[in-house]
Amino acid sequence: MEVDMMDEEYAQAYTAKAIGKRPKVVVDDAHPFELEAYISGYSGRSYVDHLLHIMSVCPTLAPQALQLAVKEALKGRDTTLYRNVFAAYERAHQEVPEEIPELSAIATLDQKWIDDTNAKNVAERTKLEVDLKTYTSNMIKESIRLAHRDLGDFYRAVGEQASSLKHYTKSREFCTTSQHVLEMCMSVLELLMEQRSYSHIGTYVFKAEAALDSATNVRQPSGPQAPAGAAQANKEKRHAEREKVTSKLDLATAISHLGQGNYDKAAQSFLKVGSPKGLEDWFGKLMAPGDIAIYATLCALATFPRPAIRSQVLDNDTFGMYIEQEPYVRELLEAYISNRFKTVLEILDRYTARHSLDVHLYSHMLPLTNLIRSKALVQYFQPFSSIRLERMSQAFGWSVEELEQQVVSLIQSGEIKARVDRQNKILKAKETDQRSALFAKAIKSGQDMQAANRKLLLRMRLQQADLVVKAPKGQGGMHHIMTHPSELLSGDY
Amino acid sequence: MNVGSSSHGLASLDDVVQHITSSNNPSTLKAYLNSFAPKESRETILASTFAGGQDPLALLDPSRNTLGYLYILSARLNSPVGATPSLAVIESFCSNFDPKQARCAPDRVTLLARGIVRASESSNNAKYALSPLFSLVTRYPPHLSYLTTLHHIFLKLCVSTRHFTAALPVLSVPITQVDTTLSDLHYNDNLVYHYAGGMALAALKQWHKAEEFFEICVSAPAQAPAAIQLEAYKKLVLVQLIQYGEIAPLPKYTLPAISRMFKATPYASLLKQYPMQINSLRTLVTKEHDLFQQERNLGLINQAIDRAPVWLIKKLTATYLTLGLADIGKEVGIDSPEEVREIILSMIDSGEINASISADGTVTFADPIPQFTKEQLDKMLVEAQQTSQELLQVERYMNVSKEYLTKVGCTYLLTPLV
Repeated sequence: MEVDMMDEEYAQAYTAKAIGKRPKVVVDDAHPFELEAYISGYSGRSYVDHLLHIMSVCPTLAPQALQLAVKEALKGRDTTLYRNVFAAYERAHQEVPEEIPELSAIATLDQKWIDDTNAKNVAERTKLEVDLKTYTSNMIKESIRLAHRDLGDFYRAVGEQASSLKHYTKSREFCTTSQHVLEMCMSVLELLMEQRSYSHIGTYVFKAEAALDSATNVRQPSGPQAPAGAAQANKEKRHAEREKVTSKLDLATAISHLGQGNYDKAAQSFLKVGSPKGLEDWFGKLMAPGDIAIYATLCALATFPRPAIRSQVLDNDTFGMYIEQEPYVRELLEAYISNRFKTVLEILDRYTARHSLDVHLYSHMLPLTNLIRSKALVQYFQPFSSIRLERMSQAFGWSVEELEQQVVSLIQSGEIKARVDRQNKILKAKETDQRSALFAKAIKSGQDMQAANRKLLLRMRLQQADLVVKAPKGQGGMHHIMTHPSELLSGDY
Repeated sequence: MNVGSSSHGLASLDDVVQHITSSNNPSTLKAYLNSFAPKESRETILASTFAGGQDPLALLDPSRNTLGYLYILSARLNSPVGATPSLAVIESFCSNFDPKQARCAPDRVTLLARGIVRASESSNNAKYALSPLFSLVTRYPPHLSYLTTLHHIFLKLCVSTRHFTAALPVLSVPITQVDTTLSDLHYNDNLVYHYAGGMALAALKQWHKAEEFFEICVSAPAQAPAAIQLEAYKKLVLVQLIQYGEIAPLPKYTLPAISRMFKATPYASLLKQYPMQINSLRTLVTKEHDLFQQERNLGLINQAIDRAPVWLIKKLTATYLTLGLADIGKEVGIDSPEEVREIILSMIDSGEINASISADGTVTFADPIPQFTKEQLDKMLVEAQQTSQELLQVERYMNVSKEYLTKVGCTYLLTPLV
């Protein structure tokens, strides 16, 4: 049935993730990771999802993760998810059979619970579907919408995201106010973020924004929830409500940019997110406040210039509330601002486990780290006209050879305008004679322009004279010059 | 050999010559020459001699009776029976004819050029056609920037006889004018001229110009790709590799099918690997040796490969200030430091890089300093002004052209109706 289908799909998604992925994440003394502390920031499905991810990328943590995941999954009603937890453990076990115990040694599948829950789920689905049918035949718009919404919620709870999405979007046809549309959009957004289908988030954010605008405008004269006489209080309340939704939408946009690798835009959107208060009902369900701090900081470090990092990240009061959740993030930012790049890289390295075990960050850690590293190098070299590679390597805590390699690749990609003195191990900034460079450029573009003019003129004349290469009549190919051109030259006329 | 004799009531050669000498209006003469006898016998009459066996050409003057001379000469050259005129006769005509009269009969001029080439080939001395053809090409059009059917005939001959320098005066004037009344052109004339021109220039190692010629051929207006365009693209790519070490994008108006087809050839894989260390490039070429040989691009390919270390070294100059010869050798894939030294020295000589080699084998690179003289700048300015003048003229011409006016007029007329 449908459940089985989803099961396969889900399992495939996870195997695909596990296979062909770079080295497994290592957790040891140099790269500490507190599973319990970390996972306590989440609840429900996202709790289990995070653990599933951890199991797939870090098999050594799998036994502990399994225990936690099983406990949490039993609280819900999604039997597929429950089974996936076991399947994920099996896979982890296959990868490192020596290090972690067999599945049977630590947990057993509770078949009874699965059967009971499945039965309950089927019963509820039937009930909801009957409801929907009745409402549809009675043509009560609002009830139909509610029925669709309930079905969406139901499918989401049992882990059938596709059906859930279908019902949520269906409910849109029966929305009578923009408030309803907004509600629908938010549900879909939650679902999409859970599913990590980043590319679709943008459309729903856009729809939600439009709905939000009209909702606030329409409610101006006499809103449904506007008790007469309390206009001022009402206004404030509406304002707060609006802020809350905007925050959520910003967050969703940010996640979608991050997921698609637009780190620059992601950082900007993360920093726009309002105070944590507005997001309370998403925390735990979707992510932890600390996550936002980490995502935003990493993206900003990778893409923002230094003054922007100071003004928009460090001196940003709202964002400070998120940073408090993860104290090392502030340390990281301050080290970067004060040019202690060695510390920056050390912190990044120390927390690789934390970062790579995150569902959203996982696939972006490599590019992000590379970006931060090259930006740090560029930043460091900026004030110098020449510097000894040795000194630079000390500042970054690398060997001279390693540094040279990095620098050379940056020069070749044009990020650092400098050249390496291999013999004396010095990096020297390139000095360009702007005047002669300008002359060279002007003359070159002049020549190019004239050549282009000439060619275009000829082309125009050829077209006017209708000297256009045409396919010979009767055959569509390029066979109208049958002989090879080089033979043509010596051939007969 | 008086085939078209008066016994059939047709004009004889005597009458024709009589007409030619007495006429002073080229267009009426042309009409007469095109109609004095039925089509099939006309050429034979023109190619014949007088009843007394005299040569009619001896009676005519190339510069005064150009049109008639042209008809007789071209008929004679293309007739299977008539006596082939001597080289001296052809040459004297080509250097003395009156272009104005000749332009009345473009088809005969083309015929003449073809005839000259054929005659020279049948006498196994293709070279002797070069000089009359050269006079023809340079004297016939009002200006060398006009494309004629003679251009590609001349160029083909230059390339097939390997007299590349002979083509230079013609090649040095870029084609910007196309006039179908001057010469009954076909799109192939344009393609072949630029293709052959590119080959001549490439053989003379004038890479920049060769590139332009090949590019014109590749990007010629087209609805369907011609095989010669694909061949030109292959050569264009090789010339660009030799010249820049990378390829420049084709103009946007190029037919996309051409570059699509190119991607399926081994040239594309060569391009992808370039510039690599010489040895790996050589293995790639050996693998496709037969094809490259057959398409006669092996020479260009070898030159491109020989240039590969130059591009690798040039890349290094952008990254490093100093490097040991051995280091360079390692990057480039040449083992002997002496060879590396030689390459670098030749690069310094040709001004491609600015560097110095010290006694211990350390190469110090410096930025190349672009130098410009006032004269250079002035020349550039004059050229720019000329170009804009030309464009202005084109625009004015366009503004009075019929198509443009009808288009503008149409919209103007249509608006009140809407």
